[in-house]
Amino acid sequence: MSKIRLLVCAIFIALSLPSISQAFVDDEACLMCHKYPKMGRVDDDGFQKAYYVIPEIFSKTVHRNVPCRDCHYYIKQLPHRPVTEGVRCDRECHSIENPSTGKPFSHKPIYDVFKTSVHGREKAAEGLDKDKPYCITCHTNPLYNEEEEAPPKAITDRCVVCHEDEKFAFKWYNHTSRRIREVKRDTQEIVKLCSRCHADQEIIARHKADADATGREIGEKYTIAAESYQNSFHGKVAKYGNKQVANCLNCHASPDNYYMSVHELLPSRDPASPVNENNRVKTCRQCHKTADASYAMIDPHPTHDKELNKFNYYAEIIYGIVGDVALAVLVGLSLFETIGRKRDGVSWVLRNGTTWRGRSRRRRK
Amino acid sequence: MKLSNDANKALGTFLRQYKISTEDVNDLEEVISMMPEDRKQIYKNVESNPVGDLFRYSVHIRIQHLLTFTTFLLLAFTGLPIHYNDAFWAVPFNDVLGGVEVTRVIHRTLATWMVLSMGYHLFTVIGGTLQKITQGKFDIGRSILPVLKDARDFMADMSYHAGQNENRPEMDKFMYKQKIHYFAAAFGNIVMVVSGSSFIFPEFWNSVLPTDYASHFQEMMRLSHPHEALLALLVIAFWHWYNVHLAPGRFPMQWTFLTGKLTREHQIEEHFLEYLRCLASLPKERAYLREVLVSKGLVSASKETDARQNFLFDEHRQWAKEQAEQGVGQESMAEDTQS
Repeated sequence: MSKIRLLVCAIFIALSLPSISQAFVDDEACLMCHKYPKMGRVDDDGFQKAYYVIPEIFSKTVHRNVPCRDCHYYIKQLPHRPVTEGVRCDRECHSIENPSTGKPFSHKPIYDVFKTSVHGREKAAEGLDKDKPYCITCHTNPLYNEEEEAPPKAITDRCVVCHEDEKFAFKWYNHTSRRIREVKRDTQEIVKLCSRCHADQEIIARHKADADATGREIGEKYTIAAESYQNSFHGKVAKYGNKQVANCLNCHASPDNYYMSVHELLPSRDPASPVNENNRVKTCRQCHKTADASYAMIDPHPTHDKELNKFNYYAEIIYGIVGDVALAVLVGLSLFETIGRKRDGVSWVLRNGTTWRGRSRRRRK
Repeated sequence: MKLSNDANKALGTFLRQYKISTEDVNDLEEVISMMPEDRKQIYKNVESNPVGDLFRYSVHIRIQHLLTFTTFLLLAFTGLPIHYNDAFWAVPFNDVLGGVEVTRVIHRTLATWMVLSMGYHLFTVIGGTLQKITQGKFDIGRSILPVLKDARDFMADMSYHAGQNENRPEMDKFMYKQKIHYFAAAFGNIVMVVSGSSFIFPEFWNSVLPTDYASHFQEMMRLSHPHEALLALLVIAFWHWYNVHLAPGRFPMQWTFLTGKLTREHQIEEHFLEYLRCLASLPKERAYLREVLVSKGLVSASKETDARQNFLFDEHRQWAKEQAEQGVGQESMAEDTQS
């Protein structure tokens, strides 16, 4: 029996080896341990941590060509000590050369821009900064992208005439075509992403309380940003799948350089913000071509909160009262008239040439 | 019957404007003098055809009503699921139509039809009024325009329903309720069109408004559109449908919106001044009323006295005589008087 088990294991390992070796080059021998599926632990906060790396999947990620220790630079020996610091996205990838500069590739330039934004934070942030998004909050790098599933054969057939390695052709095609095609999140996904924090009442309450206590300036609509967007025309239309309608980033990121700007989002009080009162017309004109200063005054985050919009608050109350009173008066009038005419002897239905068949019960003066 | 000041004024104007012949005026004077002082005795004893006896609305008004109520109801039934898109009943409704995006397209298409219907109405009403003015046949009391008498009619009618007055007031072609309803609907339509267009063309509306008020205008419009729609729907459901379908004497419905005619008893009860005009212009109606009054023993006991007190006929005959002397011919325009 044990011989059979041994044989099965041997066959399994033999079959697995080619796939592992083809996934990516593990020169650092990290897979020696991290290939085991159950590798992980429960940390001090009770979270399950998985340290398992699936080579076939990792080989399809955007970081497939980056050696492990370019990011996990603190690993100096094997087996390594418990890791106390996480990966930082502003590290230089010494093994990957930026083809445009010839220098080691790094996300540091965009990270430096991000740090100047209203979302800017360090990796190891504490306190309120911990609520802010870090790179991986948005860059989730999904492993499956429908668009990348099957590059068009007509193109890749041409590539492999010179570039013999078919996989290289596929990867190169996907890398470039992905950036040519519009594969960013759609409107609903962006709203959902922003709402993860901006609709989180605990986060909102923490920051509001801090702003009130310290006198720190906070956006006027900060507490209702997600909710009020949902109540706006943009929000309602977006909710039902319209892809053209403005989402959070269409207004809050600069139209001049969208992809850079989404990393340097600024509060509306900042003169450089696209939603600053001096820039709103230009921002609105991205979609509303004839927008002017009056148009830019329309509130894209409508609210009837008493503190934020007294006009709307009282207008809604007045509308309610007028409606209720009008209805009550008309119903009252109808009842009064019915009683009066019934008392005078009118029947409900006109039959045999008349409705006046009943006897009058009026008590006249 | 001794005619009231209002009746004298309305009928006198009508006789002059439509140049009712002396023979017809003489006959009318006699019929009116035969009418009992208690008008209830008249409308309780005449015979009415359920689909209507006396002409009231032209085919244009009937088509406009048809267009208005179909577009209004469909707009309400598509607009409410858009506004309350999260409600349990709105979700399946929108899904059946193909999603809220489709509901929006239907809503806006219907809105265009409603605006066209409004344009049609304005064209006929303004055109008709201008025509009457140029022909010297316009009488503001007979029009839908509110006059001071409507306030008096309202007070008098309330007193009647409270059991304080013997008779309902002598109301004109359009009574106070109809005027309130008409102008409420007109106001509501304007609010809906302005607010609806501010959603479709916000750039235009804000380009014509001062910057300081632009945002408030949009907020008002966002509030107005659903509030006005809901109010209009409730007013229609509770008041208009009550008045034309459910009120005593009107059940199951008044046929006026289809036939353009009003029942005789309704005309006498609620639009007595217009009934006097019908008597003036329709010899058959005079003959019918005379027969009813005689056969049912309702002829006024003070017939001779009343006849002497209704000065308007003498005045009219005098006026007709002067006109004849000046060479202006008289003509009876019975078929034209009710348009």
